[in-house]
Amino acid sequence: MSQHVLETDGQVCPFPLVEAGAAIALLAPGDELVINFDCTQATDALPQWAAEHGYPVTNFERVGNAQWTITVLKA
Amino acid sequence: MLLTGLALGIALGFTMQRGRFCVTGAFRDLWITGSTRWLTAFLIVVAVQSVGVFAMDTAGVITLAPRDFAWLATIIGAFVFGFAIVLAGGCATGTYYRAGEGLVGSWFALIFYALFAAMSKTGVLAPAVDGLRAVTVHASTIHGLLGLSPWILVLVLVTGVGLLARHHLSRRPELPVAALPPRKSGLAHLLFEKRWGAFSTALVIAALAILAWPLSWATGRESGLGITGPSSALVNYLVGGDSQVVDWGVYLVIGILTGSFIAAAGSGEFRVRLPDAVTTVRSIAGGALMGIGASLAGGCTIGNAMVDTATFGLQGWVSLVFMILGTGAATRVFITGPATATAAARVAVPAGR
Repeated sequence: MSQHVLETDGQVCPFPLVEAGAAIALLAPGDELVINFDCTQATDALPQWAAEHGYPVTNFERVGNAQWTITVLKA
Repeated sequence: MLLTGLALGIALGFTMQRGRFCVTGAFRDLWITGSTRWLTAFLIVVAVQSVGVFAMDTAGVITLAPRDFAWLATIIGAFVFGFAIVLAGGCATGTYYRAGEGLVGSWFALIFYALFAAMSKTGVLAPAVDGLRAVTVHASTIHGLLGLSPWILVLVLVTGVGLLARHHLSRRPELPVAALPPRKSGLAHLLFEKRWGAFSTALVIAALAILAWPLSWATGRESGLGITGPSSALVNYLVGGDSQVVDWGVYLVIGILTGSFIAAAGSGEFRVRLPDAVTTVRSIAGGALMGIGASLAGGCTIGNAMVDTATFGLQGWVSLVFMILGTGAATRVFITGPATATAAARVAVPAGR
């Protein structure tokens, strides 16, 4: 069980989502993926994507002006 | 009276920013994930607006006039526009409201979009655009073509979109959708923090889109929401200094930028964000192609795909189809194509624990 970080700051949608999908495919079940992002639309798209794929969200917060982090667990 | 354009624009920009309403995303999702949640939200705006528009037309508040359908320019322009919005990372309104959030890539896209719209409408490209738009058929609307009352189409559209919305509302995701922990309360929480949801955002935008018709009409601009014409007029005013070109629509687009900035600043979502070299070039190319495409098609995702569709105009519906196809082509080339191999290669650095 390990934690991986995906930095997507500076990338506009849909790239944070596309990269998150590619990244989580490489992880083992039980691993966590931390996605750091600054695209506003991803505050809607990423939690929606996690919910629809059945990945529990273990952390989701705004870390600064227009900067967010979300952690999803590969279940 | 022109100031109603500014007020409506502020409300629209605010709503789009808070609701994360992105037409480019709605079209793009179809090709990336197959999701129709945002497309359904978009169609809710069209369907609700169609009820309002034909009610006002019946009541004589506005008068929808037929015009010949410039089919060739609409098809080419809509496809180019659909392709371009993927490059630019947002359609015309999307680009305005992202510019208000501080995305410098959207500033570039916006400047080149407005410049190329002005070049296409009144400048060096105008003869070519006018030439293509002169290829017309003598038909204006779907109900005119079918010889039906527009209310039958309103009924069909509202029913169809209602069923789509019900499908999405009844289909619960596997897990509850995570929300950001609240830091505000009351009205401030509702306006500047809470996740609005796709469909409630769509209903607010539909109300604003309906309201735009009589407000714009009262100033002599006889149409609903529109972005490309006003953007071109704004460039003409800034460069030529002729205040005659400043109409309700110009106030509207300035309002969108302002409203989005207010929403972003109020919710801690404004930050000047610099794009990398690739995104900068794509934003500029996308913006320029958007200006040409929207001028050829006679409207953008708002003027054509969201407003003219509500009047069942052929230009609107043909545009909608070809914009989605253009978006699909660009998605293939730039998002789901071979370029994504590089993205997967630099994925997921272990955090060291």
